[in-house]
Amino acid sequence: MDEEEIERAVIAYLKKKGFKQTELAFQEEHQQQQQQSKNNSSNSQTDPEVAKLILSFSSESENLPAQYHDGYNKLRSWTYTSLDLYKHELLRVLYPVFVHCFMDLVAKGHLQEARTFFHTFREDHETLHLRDLQKLEGVLSPSHLEEMEFAHSFRQSKVNIKICQYSYELLLQYLHNTQSITMLGVINEHIDFQVSPGQPSSISDEAEAVTLVGSGQDAANLINQREIHWGILEDAIDDRFEKSGGVLSDSDKADRESKEGETEEAKKWSAEGGKQGASVKKLKKDKAGSAGKIGRPEINASSGVPRVKSELPLPVMPTEIEHSILEDLRNRVQLSSVALPSVSFYTFINTHNSLNCASISHEGSLVAGGFSDSSLKVWDMAKLGQQVSNFDMQSENDAATNEHMLVANGGKRPYTLFQGHSGPVYSASFSPLGDFILSSSSDSTVRLWSTKLNANLVCYKGHNYPVWDVQFSPFGHYFASCSHDRTARIWSMDRIQPLRIMAGHLSDVDCVQWHVNCNYVATGSSDRTVRLWDIQSGECVRIFIGHRSMILSLAMSPDGRYMASGDEDGTIMMWDLATGRCVTPLVGHTSCIWSLTFSGEGSLLASGSADCTVKLWDVNASTKLTRTDESKVGNSGRLRSLKALPTKSTPVYSLRFSRRNLLFAAGVLSKSI
Amino acid sequence: MSIVPKETIEVIAQSIGINSLSTDVALALAPDVEYRVREIMQEAIKCMHHSKRTILTTEDVDSALNLRNVEPIYGFVSKDPMRFKRAAGHKDLFYVDDKDLEFKDVIEAPLPRAPLDTAVVVHWLAIEGVQPAIPENPPFEVLTAPSDSKKSEFKEDGLPVDIKLPVKHVLSRELQLYFEKIIELTTRKPESPLFKEALMSLATDSGLHPLVPYFTYFIAEEVSRNLNNFNLLIALMRVVWSLLQNPHIHVEPYLHQMMPSVITCLVAKRLGNRLSDNHWELRNFSANLVATICRRFGHVYHNLQPRVTKTLLHAFLDPTKALPQHYGAIQGLTALGPNVVRLLILPNLQTYMQLLEPEMQLEKQKNELKRQEAWRVYAALLFAAGQCIYNQLKKFPSLLLPSTKTVLKSKKKVVTTIANKRKASTDNFAHQPPLKKLAADGATGVVPINSMQVDTQGVAHPLRGENIIGGGSRREKIDGPVQKASVLAQAWKEDLDFGHLLASLSDIFGQGMFSFIPAPELSLFL
Repeated sequence: MDEEEIERAVIAYLKKKGFKQTELAFQEEHQQQQQQSKNNSSNSQTDPEVAKLILSFSSESENLPAQYHDGYNKLRSWTYTSLDLYKHELLRVLYPVFVHCFMDLVAKGHLQEARTFFHTFREDHETLHLRDLQKLEGVLSPSHLEEMEFAHSFRQSKVNIKICQYSYELLLQYLHNTQSITMLGVINEHIDFQVSPGQPSSISDEAEAVTLVGSGQDAANLINQREIHWGILEDAIDDRFEKSGGVLSDSDKADRESKEGETEEAKKWSAEGGKQGASVKKLKKDKAGSAGKIGRPEINASSGVPRVKSELPLPVMPTEIEHSILEDLRNRVQLSSVALPSVSFYTFINTHNSLNCASISHEGSLVAGGFSDSSLKVWDMAKLGQQVSNFDMQSENDAATNEHMLVANGGKRPYTLFQGHSGPVYSASFSPLGDFILSSSSDSTVRLWSTKLNANLVCYKGHNYPVWDVQFSPFGHYFASCSHDRTARIWSMDRIQPLRIMAGHLSDVDCVQWHVNCNYVATGSSDRTVRLWDIQSGECVRIFIGHRSMILSLAMSPDGRYMASGDEDGTIMMWDLATGRCVTPLVGHTSCIWSLTFSGEGSLLASGSADCTVKLWDVNASTKLTRTDESKVGNSGRLRSLKALPTKSTPVYSLRFSRRNLLFAAGVLSKSI
Repeated sequence: MSIVPKETIEVIAQSIGINSLSTDVALALAPDVEYRVREIMQEAIKCMHHSKRTILTTEDVDSALNLRNVEPIYGFVSKDPMRFKRAAGHKDLFYVDDKDLEFKDVIEAPLPRAPLDTAVVVHWLAIEGVQPAIPENPPFEVLTAPSDSKKSEFKEDGLPVDIKLPVKHVLSRELQLYFEKIIELTTRKPESPLFKEALMSLATDSGLHPLVPYFTYFIAEEVSRNLNNFNLLIALMRVVWSLLQNPHIHVEPYLHQMMPSVITCLVAKRLGNRLSDNHWELRNFSANLVATICRRFGHVYHNLQPRVTKTLLHAFLDPTKALPQHYGAIQGLTALGPNVVRLLILPNLQTYMQLLEPEMQLEKQKNELKRQEAWRVYAALLFAAGQCIYNQLKKFPSLLLPSTKTVLKSKKKVVTTIANKRKASTDNFAHQPPLKKLAADGATGVVPINSMQVDTQGVAHPLRGENIIGGGSRREKIDGPVQKASVLAQAWKEDLDFGHLLASLSDIFGQGMFSFIPAPELSLFL
C-alpha cells in the first residue's frame, strides 16, 4: 500500500529533522485515521500526486548531489528544446538556478560534487557572466560563501526575472510534470518572477531582466520612488548667463530681481554677509549691460529646466572671476551633431607605466598627473613653450619663497612636483577656479594643494582604505571622496572631518561625481550599481541597476537631467535621474571607459577609453527620441555615436570640456599596446 | 578538487619547516589557498583599474596584499608587465624568464642612460571633429584602405607598420596570355597598327587591375636596361600613358615604381643611340606624362609634386649636366604649370642665359650638334617663359583693361620719343624696388636692367620702343590701381613683379616674346 510508504517517509523525515512534537501528533492523527478508516470502509485515498511528491522528496535526500545535477541537467535540456519564442526568457532562469544549485551544494558540504557540477555547466553562462563565474569558482567551502560579498548578496536576495505569462506557465508545468522538486525548491526560494501579460520581451532587455542587488529590486524600486530635484541651481552662473542672454521683458526682470533677493539672503545667511550685497548689485548692472549686447537667441535645451535652490551654503565667487566666466560662456561654441568640437590632446610620455590618473583644470591650462610613486605633478601648459628661457629667472624669484618650488626648479623640471602622499595617487581634481588641487591616494588620505603656493595645505584623514576617487563640487569648497572601505564621504575644505558618510554600496566605491546643483552626489561601485545620494540627508535616493561590471566613470549632464556611467566592459549607460531608468545603453567601446564628460550645453557626450579612442555621442537625438516614445526604450533609443577619434596607442585617461567647449583629453603613450 | 593540489601545500609546508603535515590538513588547506589567491587577484584587478591600466603588474598584486594587510612579496617589482614564457611541452604552463647574470658583467657594464623624465606634449586630436593628418595622430587612411605606397611612406616616418605576409597571387590564364601579348608587341613591333589597338585596350579595359604590378615592373626593368633603344622607350611611355588613362585601374600604389622610369625618359643624358632618334619628342611626351601624374595624384600624395619638381630643378640648375638633360628638366617644369615656371625657372633665367648664350652662337660653339641642342633649350625656355606670361596676362584682364585704355590715350597724345623718355624715367622710378629685391636674391651677375632700358630707349629702335611702351603700359597699370586704391595689395605686388618680369624677359628673348602675348593685348602694344 502506498499510504504506508508515505507514512514511513513522513515519519522518517520528521525524525530526521527532529520535529518530535509533530511526529507524535502525526502518529496520533494517523492512528485516529486508521480507526476511522476501519469504521468507514471507504478509504479516504490520498491524492496520488501529493503522494508521489512526498515519496520523491524523501528519496532525494539520500542522493542530494545527483538530484541537483540531474535536475539542473533536465531543466537545461528542456529549456534548450523549448519554443524559440520563449526560449530566451526561459534561458534567463537557468543562470540563477545554476548559481544557487552550486551554492546549495557547497553549503551542504558536497564540495567535490559542487565542483563537477560547476565545471559541467559553466560554459553555458560564460558569455554573459564570466566575471561572476570567476569569482564563484573560488568558493570552496561553506565559510567562503559567507565571506564573499557576491555570494552573500546572491544568497540573501531574490533574483528578479521578467517573464511573460506563457513562459511562466510552461516552466511551472514542466517542473510539476517532471517532479523536479529540487529545482522547484530553488526557483521558489530564490527567484521572483515578474509575470507580465502578453508577448515575451525582446532579448535586448536582458541586462535589465536579470539583476542581482544586495537590497533586492524591491528595495531599489522603493528607493527610486523618492522625489529628487534634478534641476540646475537657481542663480548659478550658467543660469544667469542664460537669462541675460535671452531678451528680458519687464516682468521677467522683476521676477528675477525678487529671485535674486532671495538668493542674496541665502548668501548672507551662508557666509560672511556684508560685502557681497554690493557685489551682487554691481553684477546686476553688468548683466543689464550685457543683456543688450548679446541678444542672441538661446536654443539651449536647459531653458525648460526647473530651478532648484541650493541646500548647501555655497562659496561666493570673486566678481572679476565671474566676469571672465561669463565672458567664456558668451564665447562658447555651440556644439551639435553637425558642429563637432576641437580636441586638444595632452600626451604624457616617459611615464614608465607609473601614471595612475590625469586631470585637467577647467580652462585647460593646468594638467595634473598622479603617479604610483606617490607624487603629484602639475604642468602649466601656458608655460610649456617658454619654460626654457624663463627658468633661471623664475627659480631665482620663487625659490626663496617656497621649498616645493625649489625642488621643482632646482631640478630644471618643466612641472611642479607635489610630494606628500605615501602611496600611489589614484585621483586628482582641480577646483573650478584652478587654484586648488585635491589628490587621493592609496595611503587612505586626501590632500589639498595650492597651485599658487605650490604647497600642501591640508591632509584629510577619514577613510580607512585607499581612496579611489575625489571630486571638487561644481562650485568648489566642498568635495566628495570614495574609497575601498565601501563608503563615499562629503567634505568641506575648512574641516578635517567629513561632513557626511554615505554607506550602502556592497563593494568598493570606485568613482564619484557631483550633480550640477550640488545637492546630490553619484557614486559608482564594483557592485555594479550607481547610487545617487542626497547631500543634506546623506540618504541614497536612487539606485541605478544595469551595468555588468565595475563602474569606472560618471558624468552629469549640465541640465541635471541625465547621468552617464561607463564600465569596465566598455558599455556606457545614460540614465534619467528622475525615473531612475536607463535611457539608452551606448555600445561601441571595447575596453574600460576611463572618462566621461558632457559638453558645456549638454548636447554631446565624450567618452575616453582604454581602447585608445575618444568617442563623441549625440545626446539630444537620443533623449528626444526616447521622450516621444518611451515604450521603445532600449531598442530604438540607441544614442548615436557621432565620431570615434582614435589616438596613437594612447589610452584616454581624462576628458574635460572647457567653458568655451574646447575638449581637452589626456592620456599616456604606451608602447606595449 | 581544488586547482591547488595537496602536494603543493605539502611542498610549501616543508619550505617553511613543517615536515610532517598530515594529508587531511593539506586537503583542507588547498581549497582555502585557492580562495585566498583568487581574492587577492580580485583586489589586484581593482588596483589595476584604478591605476588606469589593463595589464596586471606585480605592483597591483602588492597593493592588493597591502589591502588585506599581508606583507607584499618583495623582489618582483617591475614597472613593465611581466614577460612570460611558455614552458616547452606544456600547453598552459608559463614562467617568468629570469636569467642568471654574472655579477662581474653587471659591475663592469657601462651605466645605462638615465631614463627620460615624464613630460606632456600637446597636439590636436581633432579640429572641429576632423582629425588633422599629423604624425601624432594615427594614420587614418591606413586603417581604412591599406595600400603599399602608403605603407612605405609611413615607414619613412618611423611608425609601426604591421607587415602582411605575402599573399599568393593567382593570375588567370587569359590575363597571362594578354600580358605576354602586350609585352611582345611593345618590345618587338611598336610601329605596328596592332600596338595602337593594344594601347587602346590598355586604356579602356576594365579587368586589367591584377596586371598593373607586372606592367610597372616590366616598364621599370625595360627602361633601365634599354636606354639606347629609342623606339622601345617611346613605346613604353605610351604604355604608361595608356595605363594612366584607364579609369578602371588604380595606379596609385605603383606610382613610386613608375615615376623613376618616366623621369628617366625625361632627363636622361642619352636616349637612343642614333642621331636620327628624335629624343626631344620622347622628352616632351614624358614631360606631359609627369604633369598628368602630378595633376591626377598630387592631391593624394601631397609630396609627389614637390619631389618631382625638386628632381627636375636639380637637373636644370646643374651646369655639369648635358643640354638635353636641361631641356628635359625645362620641359618637365613647364608642363607642371605656369606657376612652377614663374617660381622656379624665371628667377634663374638670367644666370642660365649667360651660360646658354655662348653655346648658341656660331663663333663660340663649333659643334653643330651642340649648337642645335642649345637652340632647342633656348626654344624650350622661351616657350616656358611665354606660357607663363600668357597666363599672367589672362589672370589680370581686369587690370589690363583700364590701364590699356590710358595707355592708348597716352599713346595717341604722345607719339614722340620725348614722351617715351618721360615715361621711361617714371618707369625707372617704379622699377627700383623689385630690382633691388632681385639683386638681394643673390642672382649673380644681374644685368642692370635699369640702365639697359634707358639705353634701349635712347636707341629708339622701333620694335624696342614699342616693347618699352608695353613695359610702360604695365607700369601704368601698376600706378592706376595705386591711385584708385581699389585692388588688393597682393595682386598689385604680383603685377609689379610681373611688369618687371616681362621687361626682363623681352630683354632676354627680344621679339620672341610677342608671340605669347594674347592677340588683343599685343595689338595694343603694337
